[in-house]
Amino acid sequence: MEIVLTNQSAHREALLSALDTFAREKHLAVSVRQAADLALEEHLTNVLHYAYQDSGRHEIRVRLELEQGYLVIEIEDDGKAFDPLSLPEVDTSLPLDQKPMGGLGIHLIRKFMDEVRYRREANKNILHLRKRLTG
Amino acid sequence: MEIQKTVTGDSHEILLSGRIDGEGANRLEEEILKAIRAGAGSIYVNLSGATFLCSAGLRVLLQYWRQMKNTQKTLLATRPSPEVDSVLGTSGFRELIVEKI
Repeated sequence: MEIVLTNQSAHREALLSALDTFAREKHLAVSVRQAADLALEEHLTNVLHYAYQDSGRHEIRVRLELEQGYLVIEIEDDGKAFDPLSLPEVDTSLPLDQKPMGGLGIHLIRKFMDEVRYRREANKNILHLRKRLTG
Repeated sequence: MEIQKTVTGDSHEILLSGRIDGEGANRLEEEILKAIRAGAGSIYVNLSGATFLCSAGLRVLLQYWRQMKNTQKTLLATRPSPEVDSVLGTSGFRELIVEKI
């Protein structure tokens, strides 16, 4: 399944609806759907906030598929090159007074997905996520 | 996202139902600011009806937990739903924000 959003009208409702449909048709566990929901929300928010330096229309492609016991999600954008995995890991043991405000989004993606990989290909950022379907 | 508010003295409870996504986090912030402007000594964000919580919501909770603490006041999240509890726990927020009963 592929859903195309744009930076000008991110249609989160359409993406959520597509994810719900995909989850229902593929009988995904609730925990898998929730992890995908969170990862998509976090990454799309970061793309919309940081990827574009112009006011032009840009497409963001979200692909969902099942592959060898995993839910595979790829999010592709044509924004400026940025590897979200280059950010330092968040230290979750820090007390609230010292917790950094930044980096929480990618931290949640790393924790809720089983594999997270980034690549830059043909001027596109591609975030590749995998979540085991069971266990 | 639906919001219900209960005020008892200077204690304000904000009950959220639905998704605390980016837009939900903005609405939560508005309600917290209303409570602060109304002179709340303690603010409880009841998460029993929340079906989703993302980092934007965490940042709002953290920002105003700090602000209230700096003025010797209280902001705590209470009764997180299972979906929200896992996000709070994974990000290291659960033990520190949730009201211990």
